[in-house]
Amino acid sequence: MEKDFIIAGFGGQGVLLAGEVLANGFMLDNKNVTWYPSYGAEMRGGTVNCTVVAADEEVSAVQKSAADFIIVLNQASFDKFTSKVRKGGTIIVNSSLAKIQKLRNDINYVFAPITEIAQEKLGNIKMSNILALGIVSKVSKLISIQTLEKALDNVIPPNKKNLIPKNIEALKLGYEYDLLAV
Amino acid sequence: MATQVFKIPETFRKDFKYTFCPGCDHGVAIRLVAEVLEELGLRENAIVAASIGCSVTIYDFLNIDALEAPHGRAMAEATGIKRARPDKFVFTYQGDGDFASIGLAESLHAALRGEKISAICINNTTFGMTGGQLGPTTMVGQVTTTSPTGRNLEYYGYPIKIAEHIALCEGTAFSARVSLDSVANIRKAKQAIKKAFEVQIHGLGLGFVEILSSCPTNWKMTPAQAHERVRNEMCNIFKPGIYKDVTEGLK
Amino acid sequence: MALETITEKKVLIKGNYAIANAAVMAGCQCYFGYPITPQSEIGEFMSGKMQELGRGYVSAESELAAINMVIGACSTGVKAMTSSSSCAVALMQEGLSYACTDELPVVLISVMRGGPGLGNIYPSQGDYNQTLKGGGNGDYKMIVLAPSNVQECFDLTYKAFYLAHKYKNPTVLLADGFLGQMMEPVEMKEYPYPEIDNSAWCLTGAKGRDGRVIRSYGPLAEDRCEFLENLFGKYKQIEENEVEWEEHNTEDADILLVSFGSTSRNVRTAAKICAEKGLKVGTLRPITLFPFPNKRLAELAQKVKKIITVEVNMGQMVNDVKLAVNGKVPVELIHKGVGTPPSPEEIVSQIEELV
Repeated sequence: MEKDFIIAGFGGQGVLLAGEVLANGFMLDNKNVTWYPSYGAEMRGGTVNCTVVAADEEVSAVQKSAADFIIVLNQASFDKFTSKVRKGGTIIVNSSLAKIQKLRNDINYVFAPITEIAQEKLGNIKMSNILALGIVSKVSKLISIQTLEKALDNVIPPNKKNLIPKNIEALKLGYEYDLLAV
Repeated sequence: MATQVFKIPETFRKDFKYTFCPGCDHGVAIRLVAEVLEELGLRENAIVAASIGCSVTIYDFLNIDALEAPHGRAMAEATGIKRARPDKFVFTYQGDGDFASIGLAESLHAALRGEKISAICINNTTFGMTGGQLGPTTMVGQVTTTSPTGRNLEYYGYPIKIAEHIALCEGTAFSARVSLDSVANIRKAKQAIKKAFEVQIHGLGLGFVEILSSCPTNWKMTPAQAHERVRNEMCNIFKPGIYKDVTEGLK
Repeated sequence: MALETITEKKVLIKGNYAIANAAVMAGCQCYFGYPITPQSEIGEFMSGKMQELGRGYVSAESELAAINMVIGACSTGVKAMTSSSSCAVALMQEGLSYACTDELPVVLISVMRGGPGLGNIYPSQGDYNQTLKGGGNGDYKMIVLAPSNVQECFDLTYKAFYLAHKYKNPTVLLADGFLGQMMEPVEMKEYPYPEIDNSAWCLTGAKGRDGRVIRSYGPLAEDRCEFLENLFGKYKQIEENEVEWEEHNTEDADILLVSFGSTSRNVRTAAKICAEKGLKVGTLRPITLFPFPNKRLAELAQKVKKIITVEVNMGQMVNDVKLAVNGKVPVELIHKGVGTPPSPEEIVSQIEELV
């Protein structure tokens, strides 16, 4: 097994952190895993993204031409990454900040109003990134939310541990989101 | 009855050869450093960062541990030694070119950080070892091999007053300028070196002494004429004195 | 970010943090550095950790000062290091030449970015020549270790300290921005190497003995010749004892792909794709760039039909590969000037063009 994930959004949406949680999850499941951020000029202003590669064998190449799962949290990322979804792969789209539109018929689309759910159910749009991971867990079937809960504990620093329950709630909300709603 | 008025300090290497030009003040300066090391009981705990230029040969004279730094980097190397071994007595011995031209950044930053080291800088207004070129302390009007008609402001700008600059740095504990043109001044110079060493021992910050020195060979003068120049020209521009002493008023 | 503790379980950290943690755990007593992307995390981590542990730390005024502070600290026999990147490592070349001649155990972490000049902050392998061929004056060599993943960033930092002290020779961990910024699970084991006794040469103050002088100035030509012969005798020993590489599927390969560092990851994937297409492709990755696996390359040159090096520069290591195989087989180059390594697909299509 070797699976490629890309998480993309604009600066401040926490895409790097979401990637770090996901990568920690795969590590806890004893997979080999690599996390790699976009960095450089792209970091400011434009879209931010990170790649997570999880594999049973040693992870060799990180930056490939396509990914199995791509999570886009805004329209710019949706536009940029649609073409990078591997044939038969899945794109998870934050429909709060991107138009519902299916340009390809060889990939799976999952639309969810991630920002709105975070605002309505958690009162905090900053939870969007972790909520998205709950959806990833359900859609990919490659990682459980129990593992992601442990991964959160790895990533959240000691002085912010009080935020863990809220983050777990976000994971569950994402996982339980009715994918057929759209 | 015969009285011994001069002896070579124990800190000198037994096999040292005197390699400086006749009338050069490096020999006197190194002897003063050796005497102060002995009087303060530092010989067996001292490490010197030697520099590039005539001053490099300090390790051929003094029987102490020494590290030869690249040109201008003695203060950085002394910083590294002291940070690795804060229990050691660490000092540099540099010329004006090394300390205040190529190494000015290292010198000022060591002073700003208040490194607990001591620095001796020999100012002879020229790059001595390479044949008497214009240096950072060459006086206005002074002829050197690269200022054939004398230092003029249009082409060369001004010389640096080192002791004053170092005194301005808040991490400096002691900064003085001395000259070696007379017995009385040599005694004062020794006092200043001692003070610059003591502030390190007491952990007060950087101890610095700029020593005005002759360079008869490159100045194309006799030793006596050269010392006249130190007294009459250099001391007017680079005024001897204590520019900073944090121990003043302390007891 | 990231603890400095010996843990049984793996932790997911960036290459830069892996390097910094390993340095602290190896017993590095002093860190001196100046910020530059993409390795600034190392200095940031060290600033807090070294102060917490009461060890030496200076935010140096320049890279010139930083490398010379390391030289000063190393002259007292302690483990000391700096870290930097490309155009700033350029500023350290004078110090590195001195450190080689002074035979001091300087450790330099060099995290390559784009060049020449200011270049950019994207990953690169453009400083192979800077590191291996020396930007400083005179005849000298540094030991150079090239990690290809985050675990190796950690392990080879340990090794860099060990080899530097074992051979009294500056040692460089040559990573790149790709490795520095990437996160992978790392097992942070204890420092596995013996401590080297430096008491015979280090500067401690001349207590009960004559003063020691660590110097590079050699006024007499004859003495200097002898010194250089001895120095190169040491380099020969290093070549005999310390060369390290990794190879896969070389036994019946027609084509041998040679690459180092992060690029070798994509080369491995490219080799798998080639195998699926029926091409017999083996890979060799030097882990030590000096000493370079010359002998092994010469052996493989007897078996394979073609060697292709893959590099993120305009072709630097390829020259060493050519020297190693000495005309026995054609040596080709696949390269990309700067940035993340060429993708496996790009590598495969270029291999297909070349064969």
